[in-house]
Amino acid sequence: MRFVLLVLALLATPLAAQSVRDRLEGRVPAEAIPAVDSLVQVAAQENLPTEPLVQKALEGGAKQVVALRVVAAVQVSLTQLRDARDLLVRAGDLPPVTPGEVTTVAWALRRGLPAVVVGRIVGALPRPPRAAAVHAVADLVAHRFDPDSGADLIIDAIHQGLHEARLLDVSTAAIQELQRGRSHAEALALVRQELPNVPAAPKPTRAAVVRARRPPGQQPP
Amino acid sequence: MNPIDSRIHQALDGEIARDALPPALRRTVERLEAAAGLLAAAAPVPGLEARVMAVIRQPAPSRTWRVVRWLATPHTVMVRIRPAWSLALAAVLVLLALFPLGDRGPMLGEHEGIAQFVGRFPGARSVHVVGSFNDWRTGTIALEDRDHDGVWRGVVVLPAGTYEYMFVVDGELWVPDHLAERQVADNFGRENSIVIVRAVRR
Repeated sequence: MRFVLLVLALLATPLAAQSVRDRLEGRVPAEAIPAVDSLVQVAAQENLPTEPLVQKALEGGAKQVVALRVVAAVQVSLTQLRDARDLLVRAGDLPPVTPGEVTTVAWALRRGLPAVVVGRIVGALPRPPRAAAVHAVADLVAHRFDPDSGADLIIDAIHQGLHEARLLDVSTAAIQELQRGRSHAEALALVRQELPNVPAAPKPTRAAVVRARRPPGQQPP
Repeated sequence: MNPIDSRIHQALDGEIARDALPPALRRTVERLEAAAGLLAAAAPVPGLEARVMAVIRQPAPSRTWRVVRWLATPHTVMVRIRPAWSLALAAVLVLLALFPLGDRGPMLGEHEGIAQFVGRFPGARSVHVVGSFNDWRTGTIALEDRDHDGVWRGVVVLPAGTYEYMFVVDGELWVPDHLAERQVADNFGRENSIVIVRAVRR
């Protein structure tokens, strides 16, 4: 059995590498592909998610960025993923950390959330998914709420039983209070009083659903 | 109309003698002859002949004109229907209004949601949305400006999740979504917009 697994692992790595090169071929400057491929392999060996790196290279190719800058951006993305993984481990997640969580935390850091705040959210939500929670705090920070106060509000919401997308409703409610003329402190206090009964985001209208189209190549589930 | 006894016709035409008629028929024949005498003695109506002939000489209206005239003329229409059927018909009409049989859009999976993209690009010839949901392929998801007011819209079905994207105007100009609530550095010196797609069936 172990022999079979070893053979499969040996076969899988070159196949994955080939599939990455196939995806990049013709869409990323040719001279960037070997370097990007190497960085993807490094990420895979470190149990980091590789898809964000492939996406970054494809994005650079689509934006017609020169090869050197594509490689640099992928390198920066790899560093951000490592930082996110390390942060998760420091906050108590046991390695190997799930790729989705690493990507989420990397996003939060890129959006300007202090590492300490991300660590507090991870501590409050011992189990994934945490994407909505970190985005909710990042949304508050983007509207100049104090990061710690914003995290406090979202952690309160978690303790009151709200989870996943409902946490985004909490940050949206606070931002709406801000737009109604409240101060940051007033907005946070008002929403905290409402918890857990913050208004839910409206569902898409029927007209929107009728107009909706799947992107080419995306299969229905 | 009451049918006239055939013997009256025969008496008026001189085919049978009036004396052969019963008294009642004979009086009818006499009244008819008196009326005919009055008509013969009456002065002719001036222009009557010309008017009658004018109407007779008019060409018959065409079939199309008769159909149009029929359609334009009010008619009494009576429909007899049981109240139960009329209620059923009303219910069907209400259901059709609420759930039209036409394009109902795609069926969404349990973990799929809708992303709505809106951007104001007056004078643009084309606007596409490009992002991590379509491997950054340009030209695959077009926005539309149906009423030519410069506001371009698109609605896309995506798996629930977080995506980075930008708009591409006229195939070459990369523009972030200024209406998006979330932006993030793209590591190429610019900013991508972020959309979080929630599952519709939550």
